[in-house]
Amino acid sequence: MLGWLLILLPLLTAVIIMASPARFSRLVAMLGSLATLGIAMVAAIDFDGWGTGRWGLESSITFLPELGVTLEIGADSVSMLLMLLTALLMPLAVLGSWTAVVDRTREYFGWLMVLASAMTGVFLARDLLLFYICFEFTLIPMFFLIAIYGSTNRAFASVKFFIYTFLGSLLALVGFLYVAWSLASHQGEWSFSIPDLVHFAQTGLTSSEQVWVLAALMAGFAVKIPLFPVHTWLPLAHTEAPTAGSVLLAGVLLKLGTYGLYRFALPMVPEAVVEFAPVLAILAIVGILYGALICWVQTDVKKLVAYSSVSHLGFCVLGLLALNPLGLQGSVLYMINHGLSTGALFFLIGMMYERYHTRDMNVIGGLASKMPIWSCFMVFFVLASVGLPGLNGFVSEFLCLIGTFAAGDTGAYPGVLGPWFAAFAAIGMILAAMYLLIMVGKVVFGSLREPAGVHAHDVLPADLNAREIVVLAPLAIGCVVLGIQPDFVMHAMEGSIAETLAMYPDLVPESMHAMGIKGVTP
Amino acid sequence: MTVSMLNILQSAVGVPAVPMDQVVVATDLRWAGIILLLPLLSLLLCGLCAAMRVKSKLPAWCTVACLAGSFVLSVLLYVNYNPPGEVIPLLSWMNLSWGDGALNSFSANFALYIDSLSLLWIMFVTGLGTLIAYYASEYMEPDLGKGYARFFAGVSVFLFAMLALVLSDNLVMLYLGWEGVGFASYWLIGYYYTRPAAVAAAKKAFIVNRIGDLGLALAVYLIWTTFGTVQYDELMTVLESHSWRAEFEGWTISAIPFLLMLAAFGKSAQLPLYVWLPDAMEGPTPVSALIHAATMVTAGIYLVARTYPLFLLEPVSLHVVAWVGGLTALLAATIGMAQYDIKRIMAYSTVSQLGYMFLGLGVLTTYGAAYHVFTHAFFKAVLFLTCGAIMHGFAGQLDLRKLSGLRHMKGWRITSWTMLIGCLCLAGFPLTSGYFSKDAILAEAFVTQGPGFEILGWIAILTAGLTAYYTFRVWFRVCAGPVSYEPGDELHDDHGDHGHGDFHPHAPRFAINSVLVVIAVGALVAATPYFMSNKADANIAGGWVADMVHDSTARAGLPGLAESQHPHSEEVSHGAHEHPTLFGMDPHKAMYFVSGAVGLIGILLAAYLHLWKRKSADALRGWLLARGWIAWLPRAMERKWYVDELYHALVRAPLWILGHICYAFDRFIIDAVIVDGTARVPRLIARWLQPLQSGAVQSHAVVMIGGVGIIVLLLALCLRFEWLGVVL
Repeated sequence: MLGWLLILLPLLTAVIIMASPARFSRLVAMLGSLATLGIAMVAAIDFDGWGTGRWGLESSITFLPELGVTLEIGADSVSMLLMLLTALLMPLAVLGSWTAVVDRTREYFGWLMVLASAMTGVFLARDLLLFYICFEFTLIPMFFLIAIYGSTNRAFASVKFFIYTFLGSLLALVGFLYVAWSLASHQGEWSFSIPDLVHFAQTGLTSSEQVWVLAALMAGFAVKIPLFPVHTWLPLAHTEAPTAGSVLLAGVLLKLGTYGLYRFALPMVPEAVVEFAPVLAILAIVGILYGALICWVQTDVKKLVAYSSVSHLGFCVLGLLALNPLGLQGSVLYMINHGLSTGALFFLIGMMYERYHTRDMNVIGGLASKMPIWSCFMVFFVLASVGLPGLNGFVSEFLCLIGTFAAGDTGAYPGVLGPWFAAFAAIGMILAAMYLLIMVGKVVFGSLREPAGVHAHDVLPADLNAREIVVLAPLAIGCVVLGIQPDFVMHAMEGSIAETLAMYPDLVPESMHAMGIKGVTP
Repeated sequence: MTVSMLNILQSAVGVPAVPMDQVVVATDLRWAGIILLLPLLSLLLCGLCAAMRVKSKLPAWCTVACLAGSFVLSVLLYVNYNPPGEVIPLLSWMNLSWGDGALNSFSANFALYIDSLSLLWIMFVTGLGTLIAYYASEYMEPDLGKGYARFFAGVSVFLFAMLALVLSDNLVMLYLGWEGVGFASYWLIGYYYTRPAAVAAAKKAFIVNRIGDLGLALAVYLIWTTFGTVQYDELMTVLESHSWRAEFEGWTISAIPFLLMLAAFGKSAQLPLYVWLPDAMEGPTPVSALIHAATMVTAGIYLVARTYPLFLLEPVSLHVVAWVGGLTALLAATIGMAQYDIKRIMAYSTVSQLGYMFLGLGVLTTYGAAYHVFTHAFFKAVLFLTCGAIMHGFAGQLDLRKLSGLRHMKGWRITSWTMLIGCLCLAGFPLTSGYFSKDAILAEAFVTQGPGFEILGWIAILTAGLTAYYTFRVWFRVCAGPVSYEPGDELHDDHGDHGHGDFHPHAPRFAINSVLVVIAVGALVAATPYFMSNKADANIAGGWVADMVHDSTARAGLPGLAESQHPHSEEVSHGAHEHPTLFGMDPHKAMYFVSGAVGLIGILLAAYLHLWKRKSADALRGWLLARGWIAWLPRAMERKWYVDELYHALVRAPLWILGHICYAFDRFIIDAVIVDGTARVPRLIARWLQPLQSGAVQSHAVVMIGGVGIIVLLLALCLRFEWLGVVL
């Protein structure tokens, strides 16, 4: 029941917001999201799947039994973690938009809550229909958030965002339905339960079927991640979206793609994944380097961070394709860490924008002397993003890369990538330092430059106020804790990851072994 | 496959370089963790001071107290530890396991590895750190209440990271310290963040270091995939238990040292990654002394010494280390000769001296390298701190043409004489500490056999002469000669000075002077370890530092040990059969005379050009510049051999252009043409079909009839051929 509550409570909050006067909407949203966070924490404490592959929060509602349609939820440790990330980011997103949104606040907070509900639904869904409904339903609130509350080019951005990701998801649906149809024709009855589908697809599909299913799933998930070259909706959507929209977009929505890969593509079609992992990994690496180079020449801070997501998510995908526990651990941690640090960066940019109404690095700069607290946070989260050891970004990046590196011949989990993949991806580390430090050098350091005519917001103080510090502090704490003690999260995920990888060790063809240590003659 | 590899490792028997199996896990020494925690505490206190806008010197005292505590504990640890080494687990970090067996787990924890090498390092790091923090308490006075706490917070971060780097028991924690010192360096170089040059220098330092870090990261991956561990003790156990060269011809074994080398060259400013260090002088001078001369930049030496057995497996890597070190030493010395900014001269001198240390590592004398690190830490700290005192007193003046005769000025005597001590050590004046440590390296270049090592030895001797020249060029210009000075451009309001005429330099006070004296004495005393030894091993010369190296992983590079005890170094080993000679003497002996003579010649040359006949230096420069065939030489030296320009042209500009190309490609090809173009297709189709929706009843009727007709036709066809049924 707790699971349903997690999905429905934000929805209920949205209804209350719409029914109550506009001046209460942010308060209601805050209370609702805090309550959800509370429930999420209770659920997490209650959850007994940490460290094991067990599922918790299980519950199902039978809907159309003759078609096998049930609405089933449940969570293993990885979905639980991502659900917690969502629940944590929601109150912060609400608090972060406290003063930023002035008009149509009811709809704004209402849509935020609907978005929360849909995102939680994706992570908790244990059957395909619920997953897909929630997966698609995230688009609608996001569409409105961008279209109504966005910047100048918001109409185009929202439509592009919607159509692009929607089209991809439709193709993924075709793939899903094909698997479901195959299962139905094999067993004689329909089932949309994810474990059933995964279990069937692993062995029940022929190699060529697996390839087509993978292609269909990738069409949906790659757009969402976004993987090069289907990433162009992202910078546009980010630059146009309001702050909270950007935070949730980077923090959670992008993870729907990698989560999809983790939950479906990897366990469902292992043969195809093994066959195409090198190709996808090359796309991920191109994304890492290409995104980083583009970041370098940006002048709009928000666009820079948006492109950095393209670059960063490349590491995340690479970790998944390493197909070994190191890589997968790194990848899931990356999802969480990227949510924390990039989410915080978008908050920070929003706070700056609220004061100066510009994000152009040529116009604004040297804020350290005017906004020392803001600057401290900025430098901190940039360092987390760059992957400074001791902060969270390092752990995940390190694990993704060592996983990729070791994905040749390393005993238990032979993979199909190897040192060269890791070496090229690792160049992204240097480039990340370049573009992020250049950004910091311009915006934070140097002599103070403020846009002509615009001075600090009349409501907000020059530097961050207590509310804004409260928004950033939990994320900063999260960055430090996950940087120094990632162990407990890593142990928590072990079972789930072992489950996802169950098919792999035996699948990697013998010829691939040679990619590891060459010339060793036993 | 891998498991069997490890089996081979364990079954084969080699000669242990270090008795690593005696390394014990010591929980009773857990208090050693406090050495690491004290700088963190200091960071916390400085942060609080900054938050509470403390206007006093409190942050400095917190830092000094914490660092002094670390130093005392380090000495206690040296007294209490059990050779050859101890592992002290502190805190878990990353642990994963997915099965039984060799490569089925990965673990990297916060744990300390205490052996004599790390102890040697932490003692001088914390000792100098304390002194320099005390010095900075006076030096940073003008920033009281502004950046004061931020400065000391940065120093604390640095000390924490440096200690983590040195004390770590695995390569991942070393990586933490490695990047941590880079970050602290970024923090402190960019301390004056409103100055564009400082911000640019900070960025440059971090990014160039990141290139090296890439090497370290890849080396860690490779070491893990090859050996299944990243912990030193396990790694060394694996290495010892096997005669590697015989069994393994894999590329990994060869690649590891080269990757580690890249990391070391980045951090220790060697060719081609040295460009960040001279620019790093934008930071406050205590930082230059502590980080960019005495401690951080020696991390590369530490890394190579720590992983020395891996280098011995691939002799070519040591040849490269030696040559890069030697060439860097020469190149940096030539640049140092032609600079006018005394702090930059010291920076190039640091690069040059680090080159010596790498040369030492390359020619199989880890002892010489470690000893030179030790002595260099003292004398270079003195030199930087005296530069800082001058800069502080003369409002940022660093141009050696605009300062003269300091030793005759009231209040500047201590500065002048301590600087002289530093200069003598750096120049390798006989019987100073620099003389002994440099000779240990120079002699070994003639003893060890390798490709062109003898040429390298002569290059190093030439460099020693150049070093003596540029060092005393500074001293004779600034401290000797007639009194004259001009203030720099950093006149603070509190001077109440307006213009040059009223300027009164303010001489250093107690904190600065006392630190200068203590470190200068330290620089002189650093010669004594050469004579004191508590080991009765006749094979080992070199005193206390050699003893320290003896118990560590870098043991193979001790004089007298290399050929007798290390089986893998035959390609780079000392010529055991015919001991090479220099001027008919044993090179070690000959070097005392050769390097002493070369140093004196350099000093005399400097005295002639910069003390007795100062005009002649300018005349020489003018003469060189007037002659077309040689004019390039002074020009190139003054422009630092155009390496920065080269970087710009070969790396930065192409990447920047590539970035723009990518961005244009992204916007115009991928986004505009492919994505938006595809999105336009439905609209085009709609345009094409639009006339059908004209609204005229007649046309609708026609279309409807046509449509119905087509449907009927299709149905008829389907029924006729019955393939509709087949499809369904």
